[in-house]
Amino acid sequence: MSFYPGITEGTVRADGVEVKYYDSGEKPGGGAPIVLLHGTGGSAENNFAALLPMLSFRHRVIALDFVDEIPEESGPLALDHFVSQASAVINKLSPGRPVTLVGYSLGAVVAALVAAEQPELVRNLVLVAGWMKTDEQQKLRNSVWQQLHDSQSAALAEFMLLTAFSSRFVATRPPAELQKLIAGIKAGPSRARKMRVNRTVDISAKLSAVRARTLVIGCSDDQMAPIRHSHALFGAIDDSRFVEISSGHAVVHERPAELFTRIDNFVQGHASDDAGAVLAPVHA
Amino acid sequence: MTTPDTAVTSEAGRSHENDPLNNVDVIIIGTGFSGLGMGIQLVRENNKSFVMLERAADVGGTWRDNTYPGAACDIQSHLYSYSFRPNPDWSRVYATQPEILQYLQAAAREEGLIPHIRFGAEVLDARWDETQERWIVSTPRGTFAGKSLITASGHLSDPKFPNIKGIDGFTGEIFHSAQWDHSVELEGKRIGVVGSGASAIQIVPEIAETATHLTVFQRSAPYVIPRLDYFYTDAERGMFRKFPHTAQAIRDELFWGNEARFPQRRGVPAFIDQITEVADNHRKTQVTDPVLYKQLTPDYAIGCKRILISNDYYPALGRPNVTLETDGISHIEGNAVITSTGERHELDVLILSTGFEASDLPISHRIYGKSGASLAEHWSNGGQAYACTTVSGFPNLFVMLGPNTGLGAGSIIYMAETQISYIAGALKYMRENSVSSLEVTAEAEEEYVKTIDERAQGTVWLSGGCESWYVDPRNGRLTTLWPDFMSQFRKENGTFKDAAYVVKTHANQGQPMFAGGR
Ligand SMILES: Cc1cc2nc3c(=O)[nH]c(=O)nc-3n(C[C@H](O)[C@H](O)[C@H](O)COP(=O)(O)OP(=O)(O)OC[C@H]3O[C@@H](n4cnc5c(N)ncnc54)[C@H](O)[C@@H]3O)c2cc1C
Repeated sequence: MSFYPGITEGTVRADGVEVKYYDSGEKPGGGAPIVLLHGTGGSAENNFAALLPMLSFRHRVIALDFVDEIPEESGPLALDHFVSQASAVINKLSPGRPVTLVGYSLGAVVAALVAAEQPELVRNLVLVAGWMKTDEQQKLRNSVWQQLHDSQSAALAEFMLLTAFSSRFVATRPPAELQKLIAGIKAGPSRARKMRVNRTVDISAKLSAVRARTLVIGCSDDQMAPIRHSHALFGAIDDSRFVEISSGHAVVHERPAELFTRIDNFVQGHASDDAGAVLAPVHA
Repeated sequence: MTTPDTAVTSEAGRSHENDPLNNVDVIIIGTGFSGLGMGIQLVRENNKSFVMLERAADVGGTWRDNTYPGAACDIQSHLYSYSFRPNPDWSRVYATQPEILQYLQAAAREEGLIPHIRFGAEVLDARWDETQERWIVSTPRGTFAGKSLITASGHLSDPKFPNIKGIDGFTGEIFHSAQWDHSVELEGKRIGVVGSGASAIQIVPEIAETATHLTVFQRSAPYVIPRLDYFYTDAERGMFRKFPHTAQAIRDELFWGNEARFPQRRGVPAFIDQITEVADNHRKTQVTDPVLYKQLTPDYAIGCKRILISNDYYPALGRPNVTLETDGISHIEGNAVITSTGERHELDVLILSTGFEASDLPISHRIYGKSGASLAEHWSNGGQAYACTTVSGFPNLFVMLGPNTGLGAGSIIYMAETQISYIAGALKYMRENSVSSLEVTAEAEEEYVKTIDERAQGTVWLSGGCESWYVDPRNGRLTTLWPDFMSQFRKENGTFKDAAYVVKTHANQGQPMFAGGR
């Protein structure tokens, strides 16, 4: 399936693996391309089925599927592998032209690292529902997940639904839609390898090196990367502004249009978003 | 003895002289959602020099006129209402017409608008007077002069009648759904409904039960999805009152939910598949008769016309006393509608649910600009306006819900409120800079409209293979709908900037300055 009519697909090699990418193509008069990095449970399509088409009406958008099965000689799997996969795609598709790098969830961790370690690749940085150091609350949730996973519990998908979405979202869905979401989680790609990476995240020492103009987006009802983590990212990065979206961690599904609008405004360069600003909520 | 014509004029002349509001800063035409919202903004800014001209005898516009059985909004009431007048007491998710009308009447009353409104004041003619730099507006209640003119006369306010041979000779009762004749008894009658759009699908279930027989004349099958309606409990209404942020949260969620539907209109496959599946499932569950199922299966891309919401339309069509006629109407003879295949449907009542004059706005034929030409002439190639609000050659004129402000999915109030903010900004600018005439340049207008035409390409409205009121039949341009995200409309058109305008001030008379050059 394709995200958007006319999207092209291809692969690039990084550390001995083939990384698949998607490219919506140049827009006449467009600015820096937007590169989307997905999270633990996702693939580009799974996380960005809504966001990518929305952004691509106005911008060139690139997304990729992280590869978590890596050759033994380059293992064990670590954040560095994702960093080199992302930078390989950027170098191939936007050589010499820094991009707007948007990371979601674990993708936000990777995006922040790319920006810290290879500042020449990143003009704008957007960190959505990210974090910098896994804390005890997250480890506990991760551990429950692991136990349900290892015992092949039928409750795993329901547990994931409960932790991914805001309670209001879950409470107000028609039952049939909830069942569909649960079925979708069951059929989703395995996240076991990335969950292992999640447990040990700590990029706190790197963040002072981020020079890109940054937007930190935190979600009010996030139970997987609770909003305090986004507050901390905002604190750590010099040239950053902050915005809160009323949503669970699964903001890409719950509030894609608001997420899109915030990113689009940021890229279009609104005057009110000076470094250090906390952006006002927008009400309809 | 005076002729009726001169009687009107002399009466008009009298009330004109006596009316303290016959010479004001701002004239607003219409008192529906748009006009009232604009008036509220002016009152709240403590700007008292304005008059509102309304042809009818009450406020409410759409919600005063559409009193047909089952009339209700199809955008949730917590969103389909003013952001600046939240109503914790909506009885249900989709309020019905009486409740919406009451909401608007209360708004007009409580905000102090009534003294500003002239009822029975249909605007017959509005002309820009270049020497006085004022709009001169004639109505049966007199002539009004205003520095600025705001049209808020509606985009779905003048009923459109079908062009059917013999319709004038129909011997039964006949009326348009927006001009419902409540004196006509429907029980036990043979009734025909022409049309299968948003109004028809609300009417049909309501009258199907008591009609002897009901025939629905459908030209093209609509897509229909479930209506997730629900009555709010007392506890919830109390919560909305005591914790207004809980109602705001619902409003925000509804707004962003609609906003996320826009990619459907740009043919994004995942979005199309999802919404098509919802509509297909609804039809499969509710329509069991295979012939009816086929007749009710649309033959164009979803979203090309308005997607309708209803839980009782399909079941009503399945009733034994209801017939869905898809053959097309050939003509009308006596009390019978004859189809293209020669079938006769004898009827006591014929209800025309055939929509509104949306692309050739009637008010545009009554407004004359600098050159003396009408707005309709300026728009002969399709409606267009800078920032969807101002028009070159028509100084100090602001058009609400005119060109490219309609929506495929979303609350039109969001668009009206955006324009209110733009217009209020322009009026403030005019006051603060002693501006006598503010006129957008023809170049800026053309350039702006070009960006709209570009964005319209690739939308389902132009490529979905249907005929709809969204597209101007005279030129195939998408002139009624906004072809982008609603937030983008607010970003582009919510804040007045003088750059595109030629500004004349009382100080620089005769030497207009191009604000864009500063
Ligand atoms: C049945 C129906 C249901 C709808 N449901 C929805 C919905 O759920 N969501 C949504 O977003 N939109 C809906 N709409 C669209 C609706 O028209 C708008 O939402 C909104 O009500 C328009 O408000 P308005 O003030 O711009 O125009 P109107 O409500 O049409 O008001 C215009 C006013 O101007 C007056 N007027 C017109 N010409 C003149 C003149 N020459 N001189 C003096 N006065 C004049 C009219 O009498 C009227 O009072 C619906 C429309 C209809 C018909």
